[in-house]
Amino acid sequence: MNRTLIYFALAGMAAVLQTVFFPLLLQGDFKPDLILLLVVYLGLHEDQWRGGLIVYLIGWFFDGVGGTFPGLNGFVLLAIFLAVRGIVTRVNTESSILLLLLVMAGTILQSFLVAFALDFFRQDISVLSQIAWQLPIQLLMNFVAAVVFLRLAVWLQRTFLPRRDLPGLRKLDRRYES
Amino acid sequence: MWEWWQRNRPLLLGAVLLLMALLWYSVNLRQQDETSFLERMVLGLTGPVQAGLDQLVSGAADVWGHYLYLIDTEKENRTLIENNRKLTATLAENNEVRLENERLRRLLDFKETQELATLPARVVAEDATSWFRTITIDKGSEQGVVEGMPVVVAEGVVGRVVRSSTHFARVLLITDASSAVASLLQDNRARGISRGKGERLVFDFVLRQEEVEVGDRVVTSGMGGVFPKGLTIGDVKSVDRREFGLFQAIEVIPAVDFSHLEEVLVLLRRPQ
Repeated sequence: MNRTLIYFALAGMAAVLQTVFFPLLLQGDFKPDLILLLVVYLGLHEDQWRGGLIVYLIGWFFDGVGGTFPGLNGFVLLAIFLAVRGIVTRVNTESSILLLLLVMAGTILQSFLVAFALDFFRQDISVLSQIAWQLPIQLLMNFVAAVVFLRLAVWLQRTFLPRRDLPGLRKLDRRYES
Repeated sequence: MWEWWQRNRPLLLGAVLLLMALLWYSVNLRQQDETSFLERMVLGLTGPVQAGLDQLVSGAADVWGHYLYLIDTEKENRTLIENNRKLTATLAENNEVRLENERLRRLLDFKETQELATLPARVVAEDATSWFRTITIDKGSEQGVVEGMPVVVAEGVVGRVVRSSTHFARVLLITDASSAVASLLQDNRARGISRGKGERLVFDFVLRQEEVEVGDRVVTSGMGGVFPKGLTIGDVKSVDRREFGLFQAIEVIPAVDFSHLEEVLVLLRRPQ
């Protein structure tokens, strides 16, 4: 229960950062997607049912602050979560590089799914070309954000909760990598 | 069979979950014009936090900005005085046009004489994603803001209200891919639809035989029932009169600088 609340609190923080802080800081339409990072993390460390439900609810919450299509973020984030769950047993998850690669792959999948959900279900909207043009910048932004936030998370855990074994963070610590 | 089910259960259940999510999204597309209970709740919860943080961050940025740009103030002041002189001259000219317009309106028995009531609002947040273009304003249904109301600034059209909670509302910018505004060219009155394309707009459905020049002004036509007639949308950036087909490909640069939106005006007019 505590962990679930932490995930929702993190999603709330990410939403506020993405809607207020990043637009002022970056002065443009592009912003790193911290929710995506959270979803990839959940995909690596939560089981299908519990994680799926949390991700879908986060998606619904996210619909209130991003886009104007109810259910779109829920569908897209759930698909990314399930895709991560699908490969999690086949790869070595004890690597921060893998997590970075998954964030990149998640960004590509996300843009493809948004384009599919809008272009396919709404005939009057065409976002494919716009998304294709934005994708390289979004990839770069998400990559930088993932590097910064992962290092920050590990540092915070090591500094303030050295004896606590927070799920996943220990695995991301370079000292534990082989 | 049981073994097969056990082996493929996660995959099948995942597919069912995903299908249900897609179905729910598809069903919700029909009620897209209304604000759901959940959206109202999220807007109500995040709005005050966003407004508070926006004020805090803007305040800090202002202090830094004042310090940083102090050197340029004198130069900027001179430019502003010069601009003020020019604008005063333009205003005098515009007054003449306004009087003439009023006379013509009376002559044509123009019915829409009532001025629209406006409500100033502050922009407190932007869209959480990079794919969509929306903003959150600090006025909601309690102040009379409902879905469909046009939002403008002095430079031109900003967008329309798509979601509204008690004290906050979300505005779909005209540059969003799902935005379409009935428009016309101010000079030759050619009609079309201005669609959002990220940072710019495309002016669709303008017939090939229409004479369109780079720099022509695009304004609202008043046909869509959302925006009043004559609001500035932007200026034509490029025109491609294709060899085949009925229509031209026209690119429009919006008149409003959406990256520096701070205050907006909501036109308190319900969509017709």
